[in-house]
Amino acid sequence: MSSAPYNYNYIFKYIIIGDMGVGKSCLLHQFTEKKFMANCPHTIGVEFGTRIIEVDDKKIKLQIWDTAGQERFRAVTRSYYRGAAGALMVYDITRRSTYNHLSSWLTDTRNLTNPNTVIFLIGNKSDLESTREVTYEEAKEFADENGLMFLEASAMSGQNVEEAFLETARKIYQNIQEGRLDLNASESGVQHRPSQPGRTSLTNEAPNTKDQCSC
Amino acid sequence: MITSTEDAQNEDRIQRRVNKILETRLETDKDTLDALSNLSNFFVENTLQNRRNLRSEIERRTVGINESFLQAFREVKNTLDTVCEDLDAMAKSVQTMKCNLESSKALTHDLISQTNSLQTEREHLQVDQQIAEAFLARFQLTVPEHQILYGTTKDAQIVPEFFTVLNRVQSIHADCRVLMQCGYQTAALEIMEEMTLHQEGAFERLYRWTQNHCRNLENNEIGSLVVEAMSRLQDRPVLFKYVVDEYAIVRRAVLVRLFIEALTEGGANGSLKPIELHAHDPKRYIGDMFAWLHQAIPNEKENLSLLLKKCDKNDLSEQTQTALAYIADGVCHPLKVRVETILTSEKDTIVLFAISNLLRFYQQIIKQVVKGGTLEQTLIDLQKSSEEIYLNSLSNQVRSILQRPASASLGIEPPQRDLIPPMSVGRLLNMLKEILSVATMVDGRQTDITKIVSCVIDPLLQSVQESASHLPTIDMAVYLLNCLYHMQSSLAVYEYMDERVERLQAQSDAQIDTLISEQASSLVANLNLGPIYTILQNNQTKIEANLLKIFMNKMDAFLEMPEMLLLPQVQLLMSSAHRNTVRKRAFNVIVAIYKQIYDRVHDPANGFENPDSVFSKTPDQVGKILAV
Repeated sequence: MSSAPYNYNYIFKYIIIGDMGVGKSCLLHQFTEKKFMANCPHTIGVEFGTRIIEVDDKKIKLQIWDTAGQERFRAVTRSYYRGAAGALMVYDITRRSTYNHLSSWLTDTRNLTNPNTVIFLIGNKSDLESTREVTYEEAKEFADENGLMFLEASAMSGQNVEEAFLETARKIYQNIQEGRLDLNASESGVQHRPSQPGRTSLTNEAPNTKDQCSC
Repeated sequence: MITSTEDAQNEDRIQRRVNKILETRLETDKDTLDALSNLSNFFVENTLQNRRNLRSEIERRTVGINESFLQAFREVKNTLDTVCEDLDAMAKSVQTMKCNLESSKALTHDLISQTNSLQTEREHLQVDQQIAEAFLARFQLTVPEHQILYGTTKDAQIVPEFFTVLNRVQSIHADCRVLMQCGYQTAALEIMEEMTLHQEGAFERLYRWTQNHCRNLENNEIGSLVVEAMSRLQDRPVLFKYVVDEYAIVRRAVLVRLFIEALTEGGANGSLKPIELHAHDPKRYIGDMFAWLHQAIPNEKENLSLLLKKCDKNDLSEQTQTALAYIADGVCHPLKVRVETILTSEKDTIVLFAISNLLRFYQQIIKQVVKGGTLEQTLIDLQKSSEEIYLNSLSNQVRSILQRPASASLGIEPPQRDLIPPMSVGRLLNMLKEILSVATMVDGRQTDITKIVSCVIDPLLQSVQESASHLPTIDMAVYLLNCLYHMQSSLAVYEYMDERVERLQAQSDAQIDTLISEQASSLVANLNLGPIYTILQNNQTKIEANLLKIFMNKMDAFLEMPEMLLLPQVQLLMSSAHRNTVRKRAFNVIVAIYKQIYDRVHDPANGFENPDSVFSKTPDQVGKILAV
């Protein structure tokens, strides 16, 4: 009876979106493996990664769907927005075109997710300062106008990568605490798991929406 | 002397007495004083009588005192006598008791030795009991343990201690081997048998409990007890399999329910719309369904592996795979019905193609997660049928475009005088272009494209050739070349077209050859080369001067304006490359003949007079002019 069957309390579903080549898969890889993946191949359709993090002493499993940026996969990737609790919208600070497409990405996201989905804007490749085409201030302004969280990050150096994923989780967790997310709905992008061993038996009802404190 | 001494002595004696009396201090002698004071009480009056009676009085008093002494001592003596009697009695009693004791002692001696032996025996027995108890504690279950193992009521919960007891049962069973080696075969065998029974009972109960638990596993929350239970049940593959089967049955039902809910009810309190709301947009609808499945299946896989987390004794990958396939199989029917509905109702070939692509994409993705189930087969079937349907739809569309409205027979508009490809060719090629531009996301694109292209191009080529067959040779060649060129240039931009383009090229080449030979014949006729050419062919040496003259005149005019003698149809060729090829190669024929004539005339053996006067230009010059 040493370990609980679930080593996490919640599952949060994320999607990562953005133009081709902005480094979505590299961000994911950096986050899950803490390594930079050079020569990352183009994503085919959607890929999937997980990592368990901690927010407020609660273990949270992030289930991250990394979508292909290529236009030809758009029909497929659109279907993955459904029920995402967090959306990481990525552009490349060294390619203005990827920044210019953000508004269309945002429209897609808003149309296809629910209103409580936390959208986090990431300006990737912040290590390539010399070839920067989009200033921090400009993107920050865009994020503020649209109510997005924002950070510049680098999948190469790992700078701010953790922060972006964790901030998003914190925001989602806050939404749960404030009762804005219904955990019982199967498609809220959040699933709750009791962490206490031995608690689940035939007679136990589904866990309350409120936390069961484990400590 | 003697007398004197005696006298002296007597005298001395008296003297001493007197001295003594004199020296006596009566006032200090208390006894004397007491005696005297006592004497003084005897008489009140100092009379003679009294003085005479003093002595008797003293004696009488002495006798009185002595008598009272006597009396007192008699009493004492009597008392002592009584005490003595008592002591005698006691001594007698003690003697009697002593005798009694002696006899008792003799009597109890046996008893004592008996008791002693019994005591020793008792000690032995106590040791035996301790050993027996230790043995029992070691080799038997206690009542509480028994209760834990079998449950107090029929459907009691499994508690964590259950596993401790089960462990004990198993360790007892194992210990019995040692016991047997030590020579206690009978006991060991009996205990082993008993433990086996306990084990079976426990496993039976564990199995029923686990199965029941799995049956009620609505929320998919797997407790640590179940995980532990599964790890124990691995020793009983049959029971284990039944539990996993039960689990799969339950999860399958849940997955179907969730799928239907996502389809019809949406989620998150209405903020997520049901998937079926997009049924009017087939690509979105089908994409959403598959994306939902693709995301739901990893969860099932994870939960399944959680359930089997502690099961490490056997290779469970196959069993897991089967169970997962079974869980996923439930959605096949609702999925299939919906996809088929879309496939049969959708008319747009391009949408159908896109759907077919989508199906293939998901078939490949899901295949990696769930292998060998109905789902995989369903996806393969759906993908195949979608392929058939879009190819069918494509053929129908091609046929309807190629069909002349007036007649029922296959064919296209007849070629016009300009010999450009008819509208239908353009329409079909446009359609093909649209289809080929649909995003394909999977391998196997090549076969798809080849099929699609064949589906469009083959009937198109057929009908083009059919309609061309009614034309005169030159028109036919030009018309076909124009059509082929159109197709070739449309297809060349796509990948995997090499073979197709090559085939079209071969057909073009054949037509070009035809056209060249027609053009060359026409030039020969126009330049009156026919007779001369016949002479050259027959190796006759003589060429009539007249013929040469006419030829040279015509040749000069031709060289002035070479375009004049080109076939009008050649100008109608859409491809300038084709035009140039035909022109160049036809002109080359003329240059070659010219050179032959030139050489023949200049050959002294043939005896022409003044050959230079016949030709105004050398073959090289002619070649240069015509090469422009």
